[in-house]
Amino acid sequence: MSIRAMIASIRVGWYREFNWTNPLTGFSLRTVGPLASVIAASTVYYVGSTNNVPPSFDPNRLAYILIGAALYAHVAAYSWVPTLAIAEGKWTYVFPQVYISPHSSLPYLTGRTLASFVTSTMTVIVSLVLSFYFLSSVFHTSIPFVVNPLSVSLLFLAMVMNILAALGLGLLLSAYALFATKFEWALPTYVAGLLMVFSEALFPVSFLPWPLSSIANILPFTEFMRASRQAMIEGGTVYAYFSHLGLAALGGIVVLAMGFLAFRYAENRARRLGVIDKKTA
Amino acid sequence: MKLHSNPWLRTAYARLWVRAKSIYGEPLWVAVNIGFPFFTSFSLTMVYRAYGLNSFTGFAILGGVMISFWGNVLWSMASQFNWDKQVGLFEIYITSPAPISAILVGMSLGGILGTAPSAAMVAILGWVIFHPPINAIWPAVISVFALTLASLYAMGMALSSLYLAYGREADSVNEALHEPVSLISGVYFPSTGGFSPFPLAVQAGASLIPLTLGMDALRRTLFFGQGFGELYLDLELLALAVMGAVLLFASSKALKFLENKGRRTGTIAVRQR
Repeated sequence: MSIRAMIASIRVGWYREFNWTNPLTGFSLRTVGPLASVIAASTVYYVGSTNNVPPSFDPNRLAYILIGAALYAHVAAYSWVPTLAIAEGKWTYVFPQVYISPHSSLPYLTGRTLASFVTSTMTVIVSLVLSFYFLSSVFHTSIPFVVNPLSVSLLFLAMVMNILAALGLGLLLSAYALFATKFEWALPTYVAGLLMVFSEALFPVSFLPWPLSSIANILPFTEFMRASRQAMIEGGTVYAYFSHLGLAALGGIVVLAMGFLAFRYAENRARRLGVIDKKTA
Repeated sequence: MKLHSNPWLRTAYARLWVRAKSIYGEPLWVAVNIGFPFFTSFSLTMVYRAYGLNSFTGFAILGGVMISFWGNVLWSMASQFNWDKQVGLFEIYITSPAPISAILVGMSLGGILGTAPSAAMVAILGWVIFHPPINAIWPAVISVFALTLASLYAMGMALSSLYLAYGREADSVNEALHEPVSLISGVYFPSTGGFSPFPLAVQAGASLIPLTLGMDALRRTLFFGQGFGELYLDLELLALAVMGAVLLFASSKALKFLENKGRRTGTIAVRQR
């Protein structure tokens, strides 16, 4: 894979995300959505637990939901970018141009994903910080976060490691998007919704009925959430963190390999059938 | 009065028909539209259930139903004229004798008809899976639901004129509006009243959005057995009706203003900025 092509694609990704306005406005508008969704999920827990008889509010649970809601939004925000790049690229005639240049599709999709990963990482960090202060003051509670250079570095490492699984998922969806002429833009909302339910974003997957709980339990996204919580919430251990991170990496490699193979197969087939630039059914 | 003799009714019917046909002619739309509201309301219902309050699970399911309509208002009402402008349809609207207000009303009614199946699916699935406790006064629920949709879609009409002035910003503004409005409107939890954790000033500001009043009134009638004659509920219904009328009037004035301005400056058909 050409590094030069990938770096060029990262720049394209940023231009796509921000060139319609000034970077500050673009960044702010991209942050309010995740911030609001983190506060909403946390407030649902607060309202539910404080109006319970007897009240069952636990700041540890609030921290659990806060981290999960922020990171779920982060993964959902960039894992769908390859699908978007293809669907939108067909309509704007960008994607057929990518195909004309040799061996460019994978660096292009990877670069667009990485650009979105960087943007989303910044928005999630801002969302986490702002929601931490907002919720602490509105709920009059102390959220048990561990904020020091080590914990933040471990969180960042987990986010970087999760690129494997997210890119793999993105390529799996792209394999479909190459052939799709309608509704491919709806796939990401499904994936975001599924991630919310199955990645332990807001509640432990053990609450799901079997076999869904067992499937969710081994997903790399679930392990990523667990590792991040070990890093950021009081009571986490380095051993547990690296155990979850190792499983997230292992699962990520499997998902990435599956995504890569599915995309290569779909790409070859799409070339033969001549549907790379097909826009209508 | 016969439908075909009145151009306003004919236009509204035509726009309604196109929108309804586009949904019902492709049943996959229902499956597509149900994804986000269903999974979000499923997750938040699980949060209520997993961490304490079973009796509030209905809030999250109702939220899933109403978020379908809010999404439709944003993506298929507010930004519709902008997209129509991009593909050249808006020029046809304004050069034809069809009244713009009739197009907007037809679009709204078609949007409600088109969103109804996916909203109903969220309600049915939520009911079957979670059995939320309900204590409903149905005539009040139906009236509140109708008034909420009327003022919500009137807001969509007002936004559509605003978005007409935008170019590529429209999509980003939509994405930025979706979650914050859902949050302060209390789609999944009470954001106003005794259960709300928000300060009074935030609650007062949130009450200016029709969705906030509608959600609160729906929760009162659906889960707390309140009906007509309850002072607070009656006030909310009155406020919703006033908001609907004001927004409808504002949207028509704003559209006329933008249309005239666009004609003068020659930007009415400019597609991409």
